Amino acid sequence: MSDFRGTALAALRTEIAALEAAGRGRAGVLPFGDPAIDGRLPGGGLPLGCWHELCGAGLETEAGAAPAAFAALMAAPLAARGEAVWVFRRDDLFAPGLTGLGFPAERLIQVCARDEAEALAVMEDALSAVGVAAVIGEVEAVDLTAGRRLQLACERRGGAGFLIHRRPFGGAARRATAGSAAATRWRVASAPSAPPANEFGLGAPRFEVELERCRGGRTGAFLIEAGAAYSWEARHGPHPLRLVADLGDRHLAPAESDRRAA
Amino acid sequence: MSATAKPADKGGSPTALPPSTRAHAARRATSPVSGEASPPPFALVAAERGTRRLTAVSLEAARLGLYRGQKATDAFALVPELATAEAEPEADAQALLALVDWCVRFSPAVAADPPDGLYLDITGVDHLWGGEAELVSDIRARLSAAGIFARLALADTPAAAWGLARYGRDGAIAAPGAQGEALADLPPAALKLDFETAAQIERLGFRRLSQLFALPRGPFAKRFGQTTLMRIDQALGRTGEALAFRRPPTPWIARLAFAEPISTPEDLARVAFDAAARLCARLEEAGKGARRFELFFHRLDGKSPSVAAGLALPGRDADRIARLLAPKIETVDPGFGIEVVTIAAYEVETLSGRQVKLEGAAQPSVEDGLSPLIDRLVNRLGEDRVWRAAPVESHVPELSITRAAPLAPAGAAWTWDPEAPRPVRLFRRPEPLEAVIALTPDDPPNQFRWRGRLHRVRRAEGPERIGEEWWKRAIEDVSVGHVRDYYRVEDAEGARFWVFRAGLYDAGEPAKWWLHGVFG
Repeated sequence: MSDFRGTALAALRTEIAALEAAGRGRAGVLPFGDPAIDGRLPGGGLPLGCWHELCGAGLETEAGAAPAAFAALMAAPLAARGEAVWVFRRDDLFAPGLTGLGFPAERLIQVCARDEAEALAVMEDALSAVGVAAVIGEVEAVDLTAGRRLQLACERRGGAGFLIHRRPFGGAARRATAGSAAATRWRVASAPSAPPANEFGLGAPRFEVELERCRGGRTGAFLIEAGAAYSWEARHGPHPLRLVADLGDRHLAPAESDRRAA
Repeated sequence: MSATAKPADKGGSPTALPPSTRAHAARRATSPVSGEASPPPFALVAAERGTRRLTAVSLEAARLGLYRGQKATDAFALVPELATAEAEPEADAQALLALVDWCVRFSPAVAADPPDGLYLDITGVDHLWGGEAELVSDIRARLSAAGIFARLALADTPAAAWGLARYGRDGAIAAPGAQGEALADLPPAALKLDFETAAQIERLGFRRLSQLFALPRGPFAKRFGQTTLMRIDQALGRTGEALAFRRPPTPWIARLAFAEPISTPEDLARVAFDAAARLCARLEEAGKGARRFELFFHRLDGKSPSVAAGLALPGRDADRIARLLAPKIETVDPGFGIEVVTIAAYEVETLSGRQVKLEGAAQPSVEDGLSPLIDRLVNRLGEDRVWRAAPVESHVPELSITRAAPLAPAGAAWTWDPEAPRPVRLFRRPEPLEAVIALTPDDPPNQFRWRGRLHRVRRAEGPERIGEEWWKRAIEDVSVGHVRDYYRVEDAEGARFWVFRAGLYDAGEPAKWWLHGVFG
């Protein structure tokens, strides 16, 4: 009986997925390698052929270091397949730092755009180019039209886009737009590292990551560690990110109650 | 007056020099108006070591016996009605440069020969006019239409062309390899010698260059100097002469002339493609590709705005080049119309044809994907805005990285050490930290204030001492105090920073702390 129910659900899901894809073939997924995360994402992994939003929390909206590091870690397996392009307006990305995290910085093309519109245009152009596997862009905000254009560009070649929301230094925060064409939205903050007992210094970088929005999947919150960072093994593992703890319940429950109270 | 030049490629001698032309832009504002019955004699005057001398004289003044270099007082005594104006050498130089730019319509390789001449290297372009004589007459017609009185000459070598233009028959064209005969009857001054040398040679009875050519070289060099001998060799094409071309000379040029001037943006875009197609056909025939293309629009009023596009890899695809040029063409002001378009290719390299891969494109080739993308980005944003980070062997963080061309082959096997933690964001200028509490000399800070926020340090790692590159500096600038002690610190919320203390510990002075980067 339960087997029949499972089959029927799977069939329905496939049907819905086909409707959502509107006739376009899916570009595949990039699994994190942990069922706790992959289970919440549609298709069992980070979907390719679409773009993902990353936001920082607090101070991170200006410096954008944690989202940048997390985006590089997510895109690292893609960058091993093709070229990666990083588009920004402030040139403070430091390639040796990416190398330490396990991102192949020698495959990274950096583009410094003059303004927001140009940054989005460059992202779009790079996403639709052959041989570009991942495009990471730092912009302040993206409206629905621009987001839709990015989505179409992603579908053309099956590349993945990562869009980091980054506020310009000293500028006033712009109100986040309500809707978005992104497949997922992640809020990334640094988390205290936990080195092994009796060891000095810092442990492997940890991130507190909230999957705020996920098309065709479920939201969640995770504590994720870049386990092999700052070692020669950094770029040889199957995926540089490792799930430490699933924070789903602890984080989402209060948020729900807050909303109800308001 | 002006010029000379003749293509070397016809002369048979491959070492023969590029042809040249010389043109003198008369100053139109002050030159006599040609409609008047008899214009007054006219001269330009400049003070030279306290004496006012004539620096240029009009035809009428020359007919009255005035000459260049004469004292102004003498000239006024001879010709009381002489009209004069102050010489403006800077304005002359500018006018000459403008003329050089204008001459690009004839050939991309134009060199100014201050104060009053220019060389035009017409190697490989004379056929566009149907021959050398036609080219010279076209140059003359256009110059006189612009009100510029010029003397032209054409020869295998710049030196021969120079001499012919100034001392020979106007419009002289020396046959290929025959510059010796063409120069034979000219005075020694036609070699562009300084005044004393030329005067001395004449004083010794050598009135014609043919007499000089016949002298044995050894005694000649001893008597008149190596320079004179070199000028003879340059004139006869035995040795090269370096010209400072305003643009790099290239034989890869194509030209389109129109019966009616064009000006609409659509027409400009179309002719850009046509010109590019013409040039690319030639490139393909020769098995070459170029990295840079420059398109000149020659307007009716003599100005010639240009647009350029670069390729990351050498190419010859007219369609692609036209598409790269298209957005820039929109900014070109066509003025009253454009009558000629020229396109020049630079950095031409051998480019073999590509073989189409049979097996599926698992790894797309650079030519297909990345190279067109890089071209689009570089042409839209500028060359300095697209790069690939390349490692530099330096332990100073801000010096350990350089920008390489996006498609440059990966060079050194050396790369950054992943075991030395470096931040993802590195600030160009380290930012000062306030309210730092740290145990000196060797402890990391316990707390600090950065951008108005107080951070309490929970964990820290360090110090990593990084000193200056003393071997690159003068010894007096080097100091043991130029060190930074870097710490990787993590605050209570988990944010990781790269902070450093500048200088060595000094009990008398509070330590200076800086934040250099953020790990995230």
